[in-house]
Amino acid sequence: MTNELISGWGRTQWVRSQIQKVSTPDEVREVIQGSGKSIIPRGLGRSYGDAAQLSGGVAISIAEPKDDPVITDGKTTLSAGYSLDNLLKRIVPKGYFVPVTPGTRYVTLGGALASDIHGKNHHLEGTFSRHIESFVIVTPTGTHLVTENSDPDLFNATAGGMGLTGVVTDMTMRLIPIESAYIKMETSRLRDLDETLATMAGSDHKFRYSVAWIDLMARGSSMGRSVLTRGDHAQLSDLPSQMAQDPYRYDAKAIVDAPNFIPNGLLNNLTVRAFNELWFRKAPSYRADEIATIASFFHPLDMVGKWNRIYGKRGFLQYQFVLPDGQEETLREIIDRLSTLQVASFLAVLKRFGEENEGFLSFPRPGWTLALDIPITNPELGSLLDELDQIVLKAGGRIYLAKDSRMSKEIFEEMYPKLDKFKEVKSRVDPNNVITSDIATRLSIS
Amino acid sequence: MFDAFRTPDNVLVVGGSSEIGLEIAKALAKRGSSNFLLAGRNIDQMAECANEISSTSKTRCQVAVVHYDASHENSHSHLLAAAKDELKTLDYAIFAVGLLGDQMVDEKDPVKTKEILDINFTTQAMAILEVANHMKEQGFGQIVVISSVAGVRVRRSNFIYGAAKAGLDGFSMALGDALAGSGVGVTVVRPGFVKTKMTSHLSPAPLACDAATVATATLKATDNEKSSIYVPFAIGIVAGIYRHLPRKIARRVPF
Repeated sequence: MTNELISGWGRTQWVRSQIQKVSTPDEVREVIQGSGKSIIPRGLGRSYGDAAQLSGGVAISIAEPKDDPVITDGKTTLSAGYSLDNLLKRIVPKGYFVPVTPGTRYVTLGGALASDIHGKNHHLEGTFSRHIESFVIVTPTGTHLVTENSDPDLFNATAGGMGLTGVVTDMTMRLIPIESAYIKMETSRLRDLDETLATMAGSDHKFRYSVAWIDLMARGSSMGRSVLTRGDHAQLSDLPSQMAQDPYRYDAKAIVDAPNFIPNGLLNNLTVRAFNELWFRKAPSYRADEIATIASFFHPLDMVGKWNRIYGKRGFLQYQFVLPDGQEETLREIIDRLSTLQVASFLAVLKRFGEENEGFLSFPRPGWTLALDIPITNPELGSLLDELDQIVLKAGGRIYLAKDSRMSKEIFEEMYPKLDKFKEVKSRVDPNNVITSDIATRLSIS
Repeated sequence: MFDAFRTPDNVLVVGGSSEIGLEIAKALAKRGSSNFLLAGRNIDQMAECANEISSTSKTRCQVAVVHYDASHENSHSHLLAAAKDELKTLDYAIFAVGLLGDQMVDEKDPVKTKEILDINFTTQAMAILEVANHMKEQGFGQIVVISSVAGVRVRRSNFIYGAAKAGLDGFSMALGDALAGSGVGVTVVRPGFVKTKMTSHLSPAPLACDAATVATATLKATDNEKSSIYVPFAIGIVAGIYRHLPRKIARRVPF
């Protein structure tokens, strides 16, 4: 057990916590029963705010296993401590891919289930939990093997439940077969928001993966301009002959780490605008049938290790919300406000969501999701985001808990109407509220 | 808990009717802090402060008051008990107790002298330590101590008050060092002349400011996790020079 100063990926809320590495459900049970302290599971700490931390308590971290996953009928049972990074290295050469991946490989499966993550294929294939057949969870009232049928309430409270129902130690996941470690990609440069929305709504369904990088600093007639990249797993016949000889060649690693000391304010309006301009201009206006690697298509930011440092000492936050279909005008209003105020945001991510799932605190619902990284500057930025919260709420949307570090509990309660259902399950499996976290305290989730 | 902007949910103000404490609390309420506990001797005055804080609040905040008399035995542990009762977590604690006294009268009276030293330093140090230890256990927190330029170099014209503030200042700065890496921050605020009821009988010194200015500067300092600040900034330069003047010259400086 070590005692460490930890924070989320945004490096905003630092707290002291004990970190306990465990490997088996029995060890988890020992920590829950023996420590006399509150507990939260923590994976790789990639949630942006205070979801994977517990000040003054114990953060349980499942040790990452070294063994190779065994795949039977396209399914595999894995430790929740597996990172996607490690997993992809082991399954891509065998011709399999994870059913859902976020924008980084550096998350654990446990974290992926707790946040019920989504990826570029959400519009067709939903969230992470949809591909989980069963999981083993240790709660203060016992160890349970849970499927969607055996205990639907516990399943749906755990999927997206931010680790608050207990510590998931193992899970069985359905993988997807692939013919190569490459993506056949199409890139379109779209000149404004109208074109972006129309293109995505019109033809996203033709691609398994789709996401738009949108320039929120662009104003006037180019407001909402974006670079839309979409693609599918490349089939053997799509590959040039040299690649086809070794179709499962997978090589993904960080090329360089961000330096340790970065002055505050490096990312200001000017530098961010210049970067966005470059990014937009370097994209082709249209290019199809390009072959990209899995790493460059799904995880471009992972090429720079510890890139969260570039935001300086005060850190940054990610604001991610979803708006239902039909709320395109609200989306325009929000983008208009952000671009008018010139909030220094690197290319933001716009994506279409498909069907909603049953997770009580799961984030996605059909419509549009926008995510933007914002450096922490003055508190007025907080007031602006509070106003945006209200707009999102009124439009029937919500904020993503895995990204949140600042919303109010009143807003949260209104955005998640199934919270009561969640609390009911929570009090069944953890009547004394032993499993808790800083976000749970801040938002009164449990 | 803190949010990403370092806005706390729960705030303790010791010296609950102090004007500087009140202004900091109001500034926090405006930013969204939701629970306040005011601790002090004057319940009526604190009730008025409570109203003022809740009327500036962005949402609907709760303000509780508790009687706290530092001269009572064990007052520091009662203070912490009340804070634990009223606040879910103890995020942000402001120590703003101050008694200026009357130097010319007090220096002839050792009992009076002790009272000034106790209120400004001894009892406050005990309470600060109590809160600091709790925050350390809790794993995070922010302590704000209202010191004074009067403590940077203690002057003849108010050396009892000045010595007490000097003690408080040194204590708090070193406590901040002791807590480095613990998740708990200590910020020492050194205002110059602040126009408040404590100083209303005096004519304002150069670089005088009001309590709201001190509050704004304090929040900026805790946002950036500074260990100490002068308010206004320029008074720090003046104090820095004055502090190093040869004593024979310093003695002749007329303030």
